[in-house]
Amino acid sequence: MYLNHFEYYAPRTAGEAFELVGRLGDQAKVLAGGTDLMLILKEKLIKPQYLIDINGVKEFQGIAYAAGKGAVIGAATKISEVEHSAIIRDKYFALYQAAGELGSVQVRAMATIGGNSCHASPAAETPTPLVTLRARVVIKSAAGERQLPLEDFILGNRKTVLGVGEILTGFILPEPAPRSASRYAYIGLRNAMEIDAVNMAVNLVLEDDGRTIKDLRLVMGSVAPRPLISAEVPAILVGQEFGSELVGKAAAAAAGEARPISDIRASAEYRREMVAVLARRLLQEAFDAAREV
Amino acid sequence: MKKQLIQLEINNRVYEVPVNPRDLLVDVIRKKVGLTGTKKGCGQGDCGACTVLIDGAPVLSCITLAIACQGKKITTIEGLADDRGNLHPIQQAFVDHGAVQCGFCTPGMILTAKALLDRNPQPGEAEIKRGIAGNICRCTGYKKIVEAISAAAATISKGVVK
Repeated sequence: MYLNHFEYYAPRTAGEAFELVGRLGDQAKVLAGGTDLMLILKEKLIKPQYLIDINGVKEFQGIAYAAGKGAVIGAATKISEVEHSAIIRDKYFALYQAAGELGSVQVRAMATIGGNSCHASPAAETPTPLVTLRARVVIKSAAGERQLPLEDFILGNRKTVLGVGEILTGFILPEPAPRSASRYAYIGLRNAMEIDAVNMAVNLVLEDDGRTIKDLRLVMGSVAPRPLISAEVPAILVGQEFGSELVGKAAAAAAGEARPISDIRASAEYRREMVAVLARRLLQEAFDAAREV
Repeated sequence: MKKQLIQLEINNRVYEVPVNPRDLLVDVIRKKVGLTGTKKGCGQGDCGACTVLIDGAPVLSCITLAIACQGKKITTIEGLADDRGNLHPIQQAFVDHGAVQCGFCTPGMILTAKALLDRNPQPGEAEIKRGIAGNICRCTGYKKIVEAISAAAATISKGVVK
């Protein structure tokens, strides 16, 4: 089956890329890993006149970390590079876990971390831990730059705030707090190439006593049109000593906040149950890990 | 739309091929270059049959544009045996362990295994299974494939061949 015709551009610098997206406007699509875009081109769901392949732009790639400041991940960085990065594993464990669970080894070698957020599938793996880790996105165009939290970038199923002429160029991750840990998990039908029925990430910060929760973020994926940040779980747990009774209460609250749908992968009821299961599991794992830091 | 002449480096040989921007790497390799070892399965990046190595990384050639592969080193299954026609240890292990039945998944499976062993020369069983999780085989039940990859790892780590 043939794709529709398009013109192909492969800019070598960020400047060339911004000029192209500005000039070609909404007739163009940016090609990064292609693992989502090529499929929707094959299905003829979109018919762009131009493809702008940003894989040759070095400025959009790579992982940089500065102690005390945090990490910057280029949007065109391959998922496999995130998965195999020692610094991501060491500092941003939930993201390391999610990167390793995405697709298959081939998909991870092709797909990019920016593409995963730009495609904005509600079941996407990496936006969940990125939002949990309070990632900010860097959006650039020929006119300038803006930054915003990732949760404000993703508007819903395949919708982002990205305007004509703009490219998502990277993610900024703050330095993890002392005595903190993050964890990610998902529920799916098999261990590779599945689309998550539910995914979740937790970032938990402890007080000096090693028992009291100082700060907490729990984000759910695939149970709402975009990553869902729990309001109730931190309200129940922050300022409290970690304990199974409170964790059970928090897990039930998370299940209540989820707004899942029933589809081919799971029923809404099952998803809601699994939110509670994952919440209990991840809160415990993150707590145990934070005590070891 | 006008075709462009591009150069693709496949198995250390440079091929000049006329392509449309929309042409997929798997189709160009099979139909224009004439190397039919690379298989086209699902066409949606799900089954792994079309896997080739690009700069050493396993890539799904059915969702890769040929025009985007200029200046890169592409390895297909035809590029694994040595100049005298001796099979690569992974290929030999697949033969020896009965890991090939209908054979359709085999080129992608072997190239994926090569990428795995290049990164992790002595993987455990769980690591092998995880490494080939993107390659579907409908015949073997995977057991003999996992055994073959494990045996190939042992052969390669003896340092006789690379």
